[in-house]
Amino acid sequence: MSDSSLPATAAADEAPDCVPSPRAQTAVGIGVLLVAAGMAAGALQISSDAGYGGVGPNFLPWLCAVVLALCGAWLVWEARTGGFRQASDPGGQPKADIGPLVWVSAGLLVNASLIGTVGFIVSCTLCYVLAVQGLRRASRQPQAGSARTWAQDVATGLLISAPVFWAFTQFLAINLPGLTETGWL
Amino acid sequence: MEIFDALMAGFATAITPANLLWALVGCALGTAVGVLPGIGPAVAVAMLLPITAKVEVTASMIFFAGIYYGAMYGGSTTSILLNTPGETASMVTAMEGNKMAKSGRAGAALATSAIGSFVAGTIATVVVTLFAPTVADFAVKLGPPEYFMLMVLAFTTVSAVLGQSALRGMTALFLGLALGCVGMDQISGAARYTAGQMELLDGIDIVLVAVGLFAVAEVLYAAMYEGRSVESQNTMSRVHMSARDWKRSWPAWLRGTLIGTPFGCIPAGGTEIPTFLSYATEKKLAKGQDQAEFGTTGAIEGVAGPEAANNATVTAALIPLLTLGIPTSNTTAVLLGAFQNYGINPGPQLFTSSAALVWALIASLYIGNVMLLVLNLPMVGMWVKLLKVPKPQLYAGILIFATVGAYGMRQSAFDLFLLYAIGMLGVLMRRFDFPTAPVVVGMILGPLAEAQMRNAVALGEGSWVIFLQRPMSLALVAIVLAVLIVPRALRVWAARKEARARHHYQSADDIV
Repeated sequence: MSDSSLPATAAADEAPDCVPSPRAQTAVGIGVLLVAAGMAAGALQISSDAGYGGVGPNFLPWLCAVVLALCGAWLVWEARTGGFRQASDPGGQPKADIGPLVWVSAGLLVNASLIGTVGFIVSCTLCYVLAVQGLRRASRQPQAGSARTWAQDVATGLLISAPVFWAFTQFLAINLPGLTETGWL
Repeated sequence: MEIFDALMAGFATAITPANLLWALVGCALGTAVGVLPGIGPAVAVAMLLPITAKVEVTASMIFFAGIYYGAMYGGSTTSILLNTPGETASMVTAMEGNKMAKSGRAGAALATSAIGSFVAGTIATVVVTLFAPTVADFAVKLGPPEYFMLMVLAFTTVSAVLGQSALRGMTALFLGLALGCVGMDQISGAARYTAGQMELLDGIDIVLVAVGLFAVAEVLYAAMYEGRSVESQNTMSRVHMSARDWKRSWPAWLRGTLIGTPFGCIPAGGTEIPTFLSYATEKKLAKGQDQAEFGTTGAIEGVAGPEAANNATVTAALIPLLTLGIPTSNTTAVLLGAFQNYGINPGPQLFTSSAALVWALIASLYIGNVMLLVLNLPMVGMWVKLLKVPKPQLYAGILIFATVGAYGMRQSAFDLFLLYAIGMLGVLMRRFDFPTAPVVVGMILGPLAEAQMRNAVALGEGSWVIFLQRPMSLALVAIVLAVLIVPRALRVWAARKEARARHHYQSADDIV
């Protein structure tokens, strides 16, 4: 199969190049090295008692640490010598929008912190509303943030999370936390 | 005849009203998931894994198989109608499918991909029916060294052969293996990487990793990088194939099935190679007017072949999953997780210990294919409407379902924080072009491979030479090395030949 038989992915030429900079790639390589170091530090605390076999529970952790260290070093080398090889364009825009990221992250983290106390429906609706507001801002919707979109998003959030909650608690009998003990809210 | 009787018994289980309903809901949900951008079958199954706690095993496996299957049908609808490159499986379909849709033949493209999926899926299911028991009989004879080497083969192909860069694939694989280390060691019971957290003693759940890497990461990525992307949608036309379309589609479907099935059977994974191979074959075989349509107005063979190859591969991939317990894709890895939730380890014993379950599952594949044909041909208009859901609402809604999957497992808020962290990891991996399948396969297969390896070395009384002493295991070692070395050697050889030719040409120039 020759490459010429495959047409290039549509619109590849007009889109801006989004492959991250070598400096960012170096950071990723260093990140992998740090993970390897963490793995090695953890592996020190695992017993090497092999029992009847020749291989103990610390073998795979050490293997992971060593291979990840090699991969990390190689990634750094690639990044420093012209960038990751054959890195394909991830798509989207060259620079990250931080605002929308903060909104969506807030939604997810608020959900994680509150779900045990305020219940699934309220917590998930909050998560939905924050996330959708962030995504509206990401796509530059002029009406994002208006009272109307807030009301609309709260209503949609409730309309999704309440039936999901009921389907799981009533129909499938799976425990999800509620605000009350009734299983309906 | 033994197989036939077993299959009939399977049908008897699968056509009970409750199981038919599970299959139908699974197929419909799968199609919806396939059509909607942002979530794939792996995430859909992962998000619904909590139901394994309550729903009986046969019903839930039929349900999951429906999702697995349905997503393949639905995915092609999106790749034909939307002008965005979707997941790899439907990327090739998109190339010609998009062109056909642009020249007003969306309906024919949708029809040939749905019918092609049906033909390929059904033929491949027949292959599964006939060969899976044989493979299982054979696999019973395999010992830990052979199993371990089979898993190494799966790891190698998933990380080093498929994908752009072997280095990034390996990094992803070992990241997955590292994640799989967290928790209590299976053999000795020693705690590893738990940092004193009780939550981590059970290990990191596959649901968290799959939902985090695919669903949450997708939403975060959309928020960070894709806000300004504008999508255009092709107009639908009547779902209809002319006599000429049929004549051109038939051979392509069969060739696609023929190419796809063997690729699914081997524990190597990936639909990229068979679909591209089918595309290249169709392009080469087309003549005259038909060939001129490739890359211009869209050739129907270019949709029919790859789509059939895709479905045949995906279906046949159930053979290594069910008989060897080796998943080769994200979705089969998550399906393996579903089996494990029931305390069932897929492998050769599955066909004897859980025969009723296996045969009901296989029977449900036949039924599911028919259901999907009906769901996707006359009712395709309904699914197309799903593409109108605005992106902010769709993506934010996905987060609610992600919460159900991650939290429903064991009601721990800790898991939701972990889910967010894994989501951010997924964004980084996507941005820096690291493949995700090796992470999921490594994580789920890692602990199993480790156990086989330690048993094998124990069998060899502490010696690693055991892997070279047994003929099957030795053969597998050779295959793994070949898979790693041959493609690279060929590339080096080709480069050298080219360099020599250039050198020759230059020195000839010098003389003149």
